[in-house]
Amino acid sequence: MQVEFSKIEGRSLPFYLAAAVLAVLGIAGVYSTYLMSAHGLYLSGMTNRVPWGLQISMAIFYIGLSAGSLVVSGLYGIFGKLEYKPFARIAAYLAMLFLIAGLLSILTDQGRVDRVFVKPFTYLNVTSMFSINPALYSGHVLICIIYLWALFREKGALTKITSFTVCLWAIGTHTGTGAIFAFVPRELYNSALLPPSFVAAALSSGAALMILANVAVFRGTGRPMDDRLVIWLGRPLLAVFLVCTLYVLLIENAHRFYLAESREAGMFFLFGGFHSLMFWFGLIIFGCIIPAILLFVRRTGTSVPWVVFASCLVVVGVLFERFLIVIPGLIHPPELFPGWEVTGTVLWEGIVDYSISFYEVLQALGVLGIIGFAFLMGLKFLPLAPTEAKTWTAA
Amino acid sequence: MDRREFLKKGGAVLAGSSGALGLPLLTSCDANVAREGSPLAGRKWGMVIDLSKCQSDCTACLDACRHENNVAFHNDKRWDVHWIRKVSIRNEESEDDAEKPVLLLCNHCENPPCAQVCPVQATYKRADGIVVVDHHRCIGCRYCMIACPYNARFFNYKENEEWPNTDFPKRSHGVAESCNFCAHRLDQDKRPACVEACEAMDIRALYFGNLNDPDSEVSELVASEPVKRIRDDWGTEPKVYYLGL
Repeated sequence: MQVEFSKIEGRSLPFYLAAAVLAVLGIAGVYSTYLMSAHGLYLSGMTNRVPWGLQISMAIFYIGLSAGSLVVSGLYGIFGKLEYKPFARIAAYLAMLFLIAGLLSILTDQGRVDRVFVKPFTYLNVTSMFSINPALYSGHVLICIIYLWALFREKGALTKITSFTVCLWAIGTHTGTGAIFAFVPRELYNSALLPPSFVAAALSSGAALMILANVAVFRGTGRPMDDRLVIWLGRPLLAVFLVCTLYVLLIENAHRFYLAESREAGMFFLFGGFHSLMFWFGLIIFGCIIPAILLFVRRTGTSVPWVVFASCLVVVGVLFERFLIVIPGLIHPPELFPGWEVTGTVLWEGIVDYSISFYEVLQALGVLGIIGFAFLMGLKFLPLAPTEAKTWTAA
Repeated sequence: MDRREFLKKGGAVLAGSSGALGLPLLTSCDANVAREGSPLAGRKWGMVIDLSKCQSDCTACLDACRHENNVAFHNDKRWDVHWIRKVSIRNEESEDDAEKPVLLLCNHCENPPCAQVCPVQATYKRADGIVVVDHHRCIGCRYCMIACPYNARFFNYKENEEWPNTDFPKRSHGVAESCNFCAHRLDQDKRPACVEACEAMDIRALYFGNLNDPDSEVSELVASEPVKRIRDDWGTEPKVYYLGL
């Protein structure tokens, strides 16, 4: 099947405007990172009790997003679903960008950014998930580049092999990312279900983002697209991913709640404060259940605007999910003296707060700006987008 | 885009990525192996804290530690660093409001999760069992703080302006730290600053010594008294013992 790909013209005012805004955001993020490097991470909202915050949440969010993109790309690459060929290049390119965004978020969160490029190479500790993961991420980016090249050159066999490799590798990447949290002895982190739950949410957010990216590219450039392609991504693909996400979340929380030793932590997670509202409303109701219903109901699930709306809800819901992986496990104190209550202290010993600072927001927006800008430039300088995606009947 | 052009553009990214992936594996080394046979080997430093003697209004050990090790104090709970800190605890079951003070410091675990997760081996366990941080190697990722279940590790969020003990370095912002049993003093055959300060107050609630030596004070206390370690069930094998917990 012949699909024509071409660069977008990229001369319209909205294009320049979007590129300018993203570039400014990127520069603001770099400046914020410079300030933190020069003066200290106290400019963030992080504290000695909550040493990880927005940037780590964003990092795992971005890394998750790349998975779904690859799966969509894999529909063509592995399963040979030719009707998805038009989406394959954008998907692979976005997957690469999101991994880079994840790496950038982690990089900018370090106390000594200057040492990151030296010390891991000279004093690697292979037992650290923080050592294993960057290797997984870099490998991932590398395979994405080879995969993209195979797609550009229309190399059939290489496309199939790299597509398969990159999907397998993605499972490793996402399991590894979940393991950063799952493999440390903290009550709300330490769960063997965290990596699978991470993968399920990653697939949901990635598929949702693919829907949004493709609709934006085709509608934005006025290129024709068969709506059924996007609708199929939403239903059954995204809908099934959402059900998987809900299922793993249900088991994870039920398990924590059922066991006496972790019930208090489970209660804290589900009903213990602002994060619980985020969990129930942001993630469960608006992030999973409502979009799943919208996608499963025929009338809304077959309408592009509704599918796009559902996808927006999912992306935001999974962003909450990432935040909920990182923060509640830190603001909930470890039980150092079972049966005893800590009454007086020089440190925040009990349940503490975490509030995101302005500089942290700038950093996060900066990463978004950089990869958004790279995406626009990719569309302008690389033949990523097909001239049309009207292949349903032909296939 | 032709192949040549694509390769050219992708070249820089490719080189960086493959470097990031491959180089660590080539240069991988285990610092703990290299330290075998060091003069530190054979000893296992440990501490016993007698809570029945520790007084809730005394801060001698805390002050001595802060002074000796230039531990940052910004008068802000969010960013203050504490190598040793005092908390009060109250029995949830008991009727009265009696509180007892507990000193918390790095437990120098036999199985330290902080060292296990440190990506650059900046945190490692010495041959004599002390868990130390190499502040010149730490990249400030704070994964050790996430992994330490005792909240005994701290990060320098701000530059430390004070430098009371110029014989010992102060830390720049951006690195993690925790108690190191005053390793620099041990190297000079002195005992940790907190232990000496407690003794100077004639309280003697802190005992320090070699757990591998059966005749040492700490070994005898551990062998003969009903000592406890904080959350022994976590499998971290702390080397700080408590009497009267």
